[in-house]
Amino acid sequence: MDISLQIKSLLNEAELYRAQGLFPEAKDKYHAASDLIHKIGKLKNKDSLLKAISDKIQSLEKKTAKVETGPSSPELSEKGQNLIKSLFGENDLQKAVVLAKFGQFERAVVELEALLKDDVYRVDAGKNIIRCKMAIASVDDAIDQYHQWLSGDLFTGHQLESIRTYLQPIIDRKGIDKILPVPVSEKDEINTDADSGGIAFSMPEPEEEILDITSIGITFTNGSHKGKMVEFDVNFQSGGTLSLIISKNDKGLIDELKEGDRLDDIQFYSPIAMFKGTAVVTTKTRIDTGPKRGDFCLDIKVTST
Amino acid sequence: MAIFNLKKREIECKVVYYGPGRCGKTTNLEYVFKSYKKQVTGEMVSINTEGDRTLFFDFLPIGLGKIKGCDIRVQLYTVPGQVKYSSTRKLVLRGVDGIVFVADSLEVRREKNMISLKDLQSNLKEYGKSIFKVPLIMQYNKRDLADEGIPLMSIEQMDRDLNRQLKVPSFPGSAVKGTGVGVTLKACLMETLKSLQREFKWAK
Ligand SMILES: Nc1nc2c(ncn2[C@@H]2O[C@H](COP(=O)(O)OP(=O)(O)OP(=O)(O)O)[C@@H](O)[C@H]2O)c(=O)[nH]1
Ligand SMILES: [Mg+2]
Repeated sequence: MDISLQIKSLLNEAELYRAQGLFPEAKDKYHAASDLIHKIGKLKNKDSLLKAISDKIQSLEKKTAKVETGPSSPELSEKGQNLIKSLFGENDLQKAVVLAKFGQFERAVVELEALLKDDVYRVDAGKNIIRCKMAIASVDDAIDQYHQWLSGDLFTGHQLESIRTYLQPIIDRKGIDKILPVPVSEKDEINTDADSGGIAFSMPEPEEEILDITSIGITFTNGSHKGKMVEFDVNFQSGGTLSLIISKNDKGLIDELKEGDRLDDIQFYSPIAMFKGTAVVTTKTRIDTGPKRGDFCLDIKVTST
Repeated sequence: MAIFNLKKREIECKVVYYGPGRCGKTTNLEYVFKSYKKQVTGEMVSINTEGDRTLFFDFLPIGLGKIKGCDIRVQLYTVPGQVKYSSTRKLVLRGVDGIVFVADSLEVRREKNMISLKDLQSNLKEYGKSIFKVPLIMQYNKRDLADEGIPLMSIEQMDRDLNRQLKVPSFPGSAVKGTGVGVTLKACLMETLKSLQREFKWAK
């Protein structure tokens, strides 16, 4: 094909991908077009053409960043929240939990608090309140909440113990040095199965304190990528350990990430929230077989969020 | 899972549009909303994020009227295609009765289609469902772009990539123009109702 036609068609493609929101694909085509233009010896308006393309690429980069950092869980209108409740929850507890799952924590807490009055839901509502507090505020808030319940008389000793055994491991895993007091067991032996009795549906366990993380952005503090944020998809997650694949083409990145390295500036992306935290590189292994042969698999352990 | 109310003779079931980001799921639903006024029974709700991308889901309720003496209501949903919304996708897929997989015909999106289909398969599996058994229809969308000289995959290639093992009904489509939207949905509803009939045997 005639080179100018080729350029034209690349630009045409780029423009369409841009219009459809396929920003990386658009960028690739703009780059390809500009590479071709560079190759042509004399071209009347070469410089202005190249400039125009580089402007387009820049604006695409801005748009990409906007999409990637776009609010991941905006507060919905009451109507939207009601819709989510009615579509995704079958009983009152599920309806409240589903709000939390879609990131509507404030309203979820209000509804969960109302459910504390209900003996059947109390413990699960309590655990989910703890989970919401950790998501919107902090572990300290969750701990405060526990203490508040401990000094009140809403929960039986047995019920509170169930909440304590849920919260304590989370605190431990976060490396926070706090021991929750064990509730003085009330005379509720007759009621020992109070927190499981009566719940005849399969209620999803309150989620682990680490949400599903789908991708992360690591900002490098030294080396050739210093100050830059590089994004990685999370290929696998088990609790607080995330596995990333780094392509063999990113040799520079692979060299810069070593076992034991502390990563102090990580942006975590999860479907319902975005948060910053730190992590440690635990293992780095070369993949020797399969389609990803030669790439590296990096396990990082989230140390704080 | 569909809700079958024997007394009222009513079935409510759930159809989900799945597929990679930007493939045209929302556009399919918008077209249904605009063009099937008689069937549409409520507002279309879209919960979007930056750049009109679906954040949580789109939702559109439709009614098929009485089929063999039973009132059929269908909830149509789309999932967010962006990779990072994987747990929302899973949430929306819960209790699905039928699926339309919208694949993007753009050559540059070839791999994304395959990744998304794989994602669908593993999410279904987590709900104890097999992609081979669930009512599933494929739509190869954006066929109109061939006229604009944009590189598209051939239907044969897409069938090879995505449908070689599944062998489900597939339709070319152009959601912006509305071509193929109706037949795709209809085929999916047929498959879904057939499967519900096997389950509930309401039509005797
Ligand atoms: N030319 C053409 N463009 C289409 C077609 N279907 C969708 N588009 C365009 O593709 C872009 C994305 O469409 P959406 O319907 O928002 O895609 P989606 O699958 O809902 O995307 P996510 O919500 O991000 O998963 C929009 O710019 C649409 O106008 C089609 O059949 N032909
Ligand atoms: Mg959409």
